[in-house]
Amino acid sequence: MSVAVRQPGPVIEAEPIRSRRGIVWETIKRRPSAALGAGILLVVVVCAVLAPWIAPYDPHEQVGPVFGRPSWSHPLGLDDGGIDMLSLLMWGCRISLVVGFAATFVSMVIGGTIGLAAGYFGGRTDNVLMRITDYFLVIPDVPLMIVVAAIWGPSLFHIVIVIGILLWTSTARVIRAQVKSVRERVYVKRARALGAGHTRIVVRHVLPQVAPLLIANTVLTIAVAIFDETALAFLGLGDPSRISLGKVIENAFQRAAISTGAWWAIVPPGALVAVIILGCSLLGGAIEDALNPRLRVAHLSAKSFRLRPLVGRSPDAV
Amino acid sequence: MKKRWLAALVTGCLAAGLAAYAATANGSSSGPTAKTGGTFRIGTSSRIDSLNPYVAFNQDAYSTFEYVYPFLIQYDKANRKFVADFATKWKASNGGKTWTFTVRKGAKWTDGKPLTAKDAAWTINTDIKYAAGGAANAAGLIAHIKNAKAPNATTLVVNYAKAPGNVLGQFQQFAILPQHIWSKHTGHKGNDLKRFSNNPLVGAGPFELSKFKKDDIALFQRNGSFYAEKPLVDGFGLRMFSNEDALVSALKAHEIDAIEDVPGTAIKTLKKSFNVRAVTGVSQTDFIINSNPKKKKHKELLNLKVKAAMAHAIDRKQIVRVVFLGYGKPAGSIIPPATGGWYNPGVRPESFNLALANKILDRLGFKKGSGGIRVANGHKMSYEVITPTDVPSTNRTFQILQPDFKKIGIQLKQRALDSTAAFDAITAPDGKYLNFDLSLWNWVALIDPDFMLSVVTCAQYEGWSDSGFCDKRYDAMYSQQQLTPNQAKRKALVWKMQRYLQAKRPYIWLATQDAVWAVSKSWGGLVASPQGPFNSISKLSLSRVHRQ
Amino acid sequence: MKGADYVIKRLAFAVLTVFIAVTINFALFRLAPGSAVTNLARVPHATPETRQALKRQFGLDKSKFEQYVLYLQQLAHGNLGISFANSQPVTDNLRTALINSVPMVFLGTIFAIVLGTLTGIVAAWRRGTKTEGASLTTALTFYSMPTHWLGLMLVILFAGTLPTGGMSDEFLIDPSFTTHVKDLGEHILLPSLTLGLVLFGEYTLIVRSAMLETLGEDYVLTARAKGLKPWAILRRHALRNALLPITTLVALSLGYIVAGAILIETVFSWPGIGRAVYDAVLQRDYPMLQGAFLVLTCSVVFFNLVADLLYFRLDPRITE
Repeated sequence: MSVAVRQPGPVIEAEPIRSRRGIVWETIKRRPSAALGAGILLVVVVCAVLAPWIAPYDPHEQVGPVFGRPSWSHPLGLDDGGIDMLSLLMWGCRISLVVGFAATFVSMVIGGTIGLAAGYFGGRTDNVLMRITDYFLVIPDVPLMIVVAAIWGPSLFHIVIVIGILLWTSTARVIRAQVKSVRERVYVKRARALGAGHTRIVVRHVLPQVAPLLIANTVLTIAVAIFDETALAFLGLGDPSRISLGKVIENAFQRAAISTGAWWAIVPPGALVAVIILGCSLLGGAIEDALNPRLRVAHLSAKSFRLRPLVGRSPDAV
Repeated sequence: MKKRWLAALVTGCLAAGLAAYAATANGSSSGPTAKTGGTFRIGTSSRIDSLNPYVAFNQDAYSTFEYVYPFLIQYDKANRKFVADFATKWKASNGGKTWTFTVRKGAKWTDGKPLTAKDAAWTINTDIKYAAGGAANAAGLIAHIKNAKAPNATTLVVNYAKAPGNVLGQFQQFAILPQHIWSKHTGHKGNDLKRFSNNPLVGAGPFELSKFKKDDIALFQRNGSFYAEKPLVDGFGLRMFSNEDALVSALKAHEIDAIEDVPGTAIKTLKKSFNVRAVTGVSQTDFIINSNPKKKKHKELLNLKVKAAMAHAIDRKQIVRVVFLGYGKPAGSIIPPATGGWYNPGVRPESFNLALANKILDRLGFKKGSGGIRVANGHKMSYEVITPTDVPSTNRTFQILQPDFKKIGIQLKQRALDSTAAFDAITAPDGKYLNFDLSLWNWVALIDPDFMLSVVTCAQYEGWSDSGFCDKRYDAMYSQQQLTPNQAKRKALVWKMQRYLQAKRPYIWLATQDAVWAVSKSWGGLVASPQGPFNSISKLSLSRVHRQ
Repeated sequence: MKGADYVIKRLAFAVLTVFIAVTINFALFRLAPGSAVTNLARVPHATPETRQALKRQFGLDKSKFEQYVLYLQQLAHGNLGISFANSQPVTDNLRTALINSVPMVFLGTIFAIVLGTLTGIVAAWRRGTKTEGASLTTALTFYSMPTHWLGLMLVILFAGTLPTGGMSDEFLIDPSFTTHVKDLGEHILLPSLTLGLVLFGEYTLIVRSAMLETLGEDYVLTARAKGLKPWAILRRHALRNALLPITTLVALSLGYIVAGAILIETVFSWPGIGRAVYDAVLQRDYPMLQGAFLVLTCSVVFFNLVADLLYFRLDPRITE
């Protein structure tokens, strides 16, 4: 629906944007919350990348009894297949992050293109593209994800695509607003007067200005994508041949880990997802704040919080 | 039959109820100490999908029908032989082509209307009339019947076109419906039968359905006008949980008194404070190899030696240990041991022997290529294994198979689909079974071997076949056993067929799963069965349930 | 008049969106693989005639366009079709599911609104103090937890004390009124709490920043400079203005919550609309899915409209 309604309070697009090269790095250095978020993400990414080398066991190999208790050799115990939980978590992070990044990439490409086109060309293009965006906003996306994932069959690729094509609306709107304001600037107008092509203007002048916001948006979208993957896996629509954190939770849940007393199979994977989402929220939120001078007073802004799929709404419903 | 959605369908429409060995819980079924009254509360993670027998799919729906509708016959408490239900006597004449049942006198439906042989005859004739339409669900049960007649209130005469072998097995599953209710719903060429919600339900069994909320609860009350021995309890109920954790938690919190299908992982904790019974079951997991002789791709999978090598690469003991936590046994035959005499003990599971498997494949000249994967007929021996997501055991099973198959140079890739889509993928294209290679699934067998033996016949293409197996010699043996009234001769034939199937291997059987149920110690008098205390085998299973 | 224009525009958009939704929903399900026909046709021993009859019964033998027109006609009469799975009218199935979902969702949302607003206001007002730190951390933590996992954690904590599945103890035979109410209350507690806690995190963060923005406004600063008492500033200026985004947000979120409670309904065996969607997917029950989608989309559109109109009422500047 109307942009203004969806962004209660001051609207970002009304604000002129300061020069922002290096603003991401600045934010991390200046704000403890951003540093914490970045730190968390760094640790998780490192663990995930190095999983094949640092994971103590093979995540496919049974190394002890089903739901074995935590011990010195298996500090987090064993899962319902007798597999070492610690190793599973490391490998699970890997797949969850891959889904997060890949789905976000898909949504960035779609949302970025639509946002750029709408903002840059304006007029009728803008109108049509924004109506499409509005429609995507009102689709109940969790049920739709379930339908599409169920019909296509659960594979990693499908999950990435499904999540990607439902998350782009926020990106499109943020980018559009920024592009609109950049377009009106003196140097861009001058470049156009000098006869620079659309592509050149976009690449040379618009994109660099929009980039930091895109980064903030990306980080926040990754959180939603990881969350969505966890939800789909929980409903039995995850890729069964890949161990994601959502899959680890689902496996334990399917085999009654809670009533069996095997809390170690179900508490850590969920906690890890929470930590990753927390990291993304802190970092993404802080960058967005830094870009919005009106919110200088706040560490976190309403707009930086993508509402989560719990409530099934699009990430920028606020 | 295939688990859950398919499973139910079959129990409902094809053959006899499941049975296996059975023991009576807590010694005597009902002693002088048996208390009457109370509500026996059962929890399940399955569902009653519909109260209409022409629509229902799930096992629990068919179990419901067992307790609320009259059936001509049922199994006894040991699930071994047929005993009286609504019919008290039966005999065959005219060379087995005419069957005469004597039914109980003075029986009543729960709405007070009389229940007679006429209702039974009407139900049979209606099912015949609309077998190709609204009553398709029941078509298997009335196969070969010409017509049914009720010369008087207590006599039912059923006329067959050909003398069949398993009349009682079929009628054990045949619910008699009240004519005065259902005859109003035969419009649109019988298709209205399917539209009737059947709630409130008019029945005549030992219990009547007093409350039903879909996906939530079914509450049954003792039927005071039941025609035979009335149950001891005031009633029982079935609560439907959407996950097993909630189910087990509810039992622990004493919100329910029993669980139908205890998850393997929970057995150990429950044993401490509940009576947990594990009964050798009739559900077997299987590894399907597309055996359609007409298949185009990957023809090496039709080679019996390749199939044998695969059979030796399966660590069944590990599957039993990890997937079923020891509550099961390695399986080898299409007929599970729990069916008693029908099972051929000579058909044993193959040994787990990777060296032997490798040797067989080496001899065939399928050399290992890049990545240690063999090459057959110019392509890599790399196959997709279809697994249905709603049969959760297939995931862990696949994880056990995959590394072992890699060791014999065969690469397996999992393709998980929900069971509808999985079955579509197996039968594709258009029910011709040409595209798929391998799959994992499970079958729930019945005590009479006919049904399990039928699923690999050519006639079951697009029906129950999920292996594309079609073999003229086998089909001939199948129809021969159907028309062999001498049960000893039929048994010899059934044994031969099991051996034949093991050699041809449309399936490699993996494991027989135990049926495990848990009951609170304050209840007794339950009759064990592979389907648990709430089943579609016999009304007697809940008739003596009582508080202790 | 501009205001009327605005309202009409919003209404028109809502109607258009619903129409598009109807069309897309129709296409999505009819063009999907694993078609309704193959599923329907899987009746054992079904002859080709049976299959044909079934197709006719569900109108699947007509062309896609005819099916679409038929669908629209039926829809106009409030008929959403017959469920493939249990042969009952979809409308009935949906009504039951919705009636089950609404109380649980309502309770959770109220909990979140009250607690989230209070915490958010306190956090903003006490900016820079430990109170803010604590409330922010709590809110962020709940915000970050996977919904179903939070539900499972509550199950671990309360198993044995509170019922963890179902809507009520259906085995209570003829309970007294108080027993019945107590029982219902016990069952609704955990699912509602899960929903409430997750939303609480979200609402706190949003209310807090709405407040902060307001507190940074010139008129608040002026009021402070004039020496007005903090409480008076909060009540007279800040709160009233912050209420605007809060109200809108709540109206907006209501539309989505019903759809999103699916995870919670799975954890707690709650027979609501979310589970109905999920079961329908597994059974390829297209009429049911279509109906559920329509209801969910309409509820989102409706609450969006409510949010727009509310916003307009509270701040008529919007029309510009």
